[in-house]
Amino acid sequence: MNRAPYVPAALAVLLSIAGCSRQESPPAIQGPGPSKPKIALIMKSLANEFFATMAEGARAHQQAHADRYELIVNGIKDERDLARQVALVEDMIAQGVQAIVIAPADSKALVPVLKRARDKGVVVVNIDNRLDADVLAAASVRIPFVGPDNRAGARKVAEMVAARLQPGDKVLVLEGIRTSFNGQQRRLGFEDAVRAAGLVIADSQSAQWEMNIASQIASAMLNAHPNAKAILAANDNMALGALASVRAAGLSGQILIAGFDNIRAVRQAIRSGEILATADQHADQLAVFGIEYALQILSGAAEPSDRETPVDLITSANVGE
Amino acid sequence: MRSGTNGQPRRRAAECAGLLAVLAALVALFAALSDRFLAPETFLTIANQIPDLVVIAVGMTLVLVSGGIDLSVGSVMALGASLLGVAMTDHGWPAGAAALVAASVGLGCGLVNGVISVGAGIPSFIVTLGMLEIARGAAYLATRSQTQYIGPAIEPIGAPLPVLHLSPAVLAALALVAGGQFILSRTVLGRHLVAIGSNESAVRLSGIDPRPPKIAAFAISGLLSGLAGVFQSSRLSAADPNGGVGLELAAIAAVVIGGTSLMGGRGSVVNSFIGVLIIAVLQTGLAHVGATEPAKRVITGAAIVAAVLADAARHRWAAADLWRRLRRAVPATAMPADRL
Repeated sequence: MNRAPYVPAALAVLLSIAGCSRQESPPAIQGPGPSKPKIALIMKSLANEFFATMAEGARAHQQAHADRYELIVNGIKDERDLARQVALVEDMIAQGVQAIVIAPADSKALVPVLKRARDKGVVVVNIDNRLDADVLAAASVRIPFVGPDNRAGARKVAEMVAARLQPGDKVLVLEGIRTSFNGQQRRLGFEDAVRAAGLVIADSQSAQWEMNIASQIASAMLNAHPNAKAILAANDNMALGALASVRAAGLSGQILIAGFDNIRAVRQAIRSGEILATADQHADQLAVFGIEYALQILSGAAEPSDRETPVDLITSANVGE
Repeated sequence: MRSGTNGQPRRRAAECAGLLAVLAALVALFAALSDRFLAPETFLTIANQIPDLVVIAVGMTLVLVSGGIDLSVGSVMALGASLLGVAMTDHGWPAGAAALVAASVGLGCGLVNGVISVGAGIPSFIVTLGMLEIARGAAYLATRSQTQYIGPAIEPIGAPLPVLHLSPAVLAALALVAGGQFILSRTVLGRHLVAIGSNESAVRLSGIDPRPPKIAAFAISGLLSGLAGVFQSSRLSAADPNGGVGLELAAIAAVVIGGTSLMGGRGSVVNSFIGVLIIAVLQTGLAHVGATEPAKRVITGAAIVAAVLADAARHRWAAADLWRRLRRAVPATAMPADRL
């Protein structure tokens, strides 16, 4: 009874597109080797360059070690698509992966589904955004965190800014999403440095990690605090948003801006002197650290416990190409 | 008005079969691409993920059939979930009472949508667009823009039952699909909605006030959006004020894939449900093979357009067929062309 002539054609199109995308991740085509573990990397927004870089690093690592493991990389559309990320974890459990390396979109809400993964014997390694210790304890599940000390990194960046200012100068802070552990740690790091240098935080608001929101909020903050001397942004996207609003306000060169993440656009802005500093937590290696650790746990070579990875201060002195 | 008495159930069955064929083809495709896709666990996982989208698609079908549109569903869902989260975490309410709050707020938002757009004669597109912003803002306000972690108290609704492996939310969603289809095809309200979507002036001229059914459609859509908020927060153990951004588009896509006309006058709740399944299988399948985010979006978009193309082709064919048969039956009389 179905006389739709387009359906076969449509499926052919789908097949061919799916075929294209498959070339990017050839390992998934092959059946699983006898002892080759399958690892799922679940990211936040792959539209955010920081996470895209992380995913690229992981893919490159897998290609260099194709004999050791298979890799499935998935991300969500934007940083806040919590439900979709939970669904991805469920999908990966159903897929039968041996390990999940995850950058959680929320430090609390991902705990129940990750506990389900642990209950099914899946190794879970937490990267990037640390899961909430209280919720983990309440769920009586242990998930190791592999990542940088965001507070120390943010302190280094803010100290760089503070060195150019006088005690009593006003600074503005653009926070990340307030529920995220990273956002909280970076704000604390900024506060540490600001307090040590005797500066004043005139205003501190969340710009949800996003450039557009950051530029709106920074514009409003600059209007409200015309004598502010610097903007500390908890990630580079928001630093770029702040830069846009500084330019729009005709204050280029008068307001120091600092970010966090060392994305390419910010490296350009550091070279041109528009942004003072950022922190490099080696994004391309963050997922790899997590994967390596998962492999060690799978082979029985490591016990699940937290591990710290390096954070470096990036300024015009060492920004490179 | 296209409300043929004999042809319609048959046509609907044919559409349903066509959609199921697409669904089966997708499953076969992903089974070929990923060795672990064709497992019961995959399908149970998909089933337990979709109750929120399913109930929203039910409401959206009723609204679209009546010729309206409801863009506020994602935000209303987030508002329902947020109030549920706040009631449970800050005020220690039991899950049942908090769920009632979520559903009532959804119903309230839907009623406001309906009363303003129908009462003042403003296109529902713009009224519900306003509600999209209002409800999102209210959700942020209620939660101070923070995800409310609720914990195990809300989980029973979304956790799979033993033996059945489906959650109560899934069963409720299935019941609502059946209920929605019943309303649409077996009740006066449903017939009126179809008639209004086909030709509202004809309905008015035949002495039926089109306003109450239209308002009812928006109210149902709002109520189901609030309920979707309950389902989603039970699955996440948390209420996410950012939840459901863009969900209205996913729901509209699923409903249109299911053959419901964006212009009103034609639709099926069961087919919308299959539309949701098609989108969910596509999403999960692409996640299984680890397609890149750009590839996922291109493929999902292409699938939506392909499904609607197939639907349009089927209807053009059916219309031409009807036209031929009518010409044969009444050769001398000029017949109005059926609306596509």
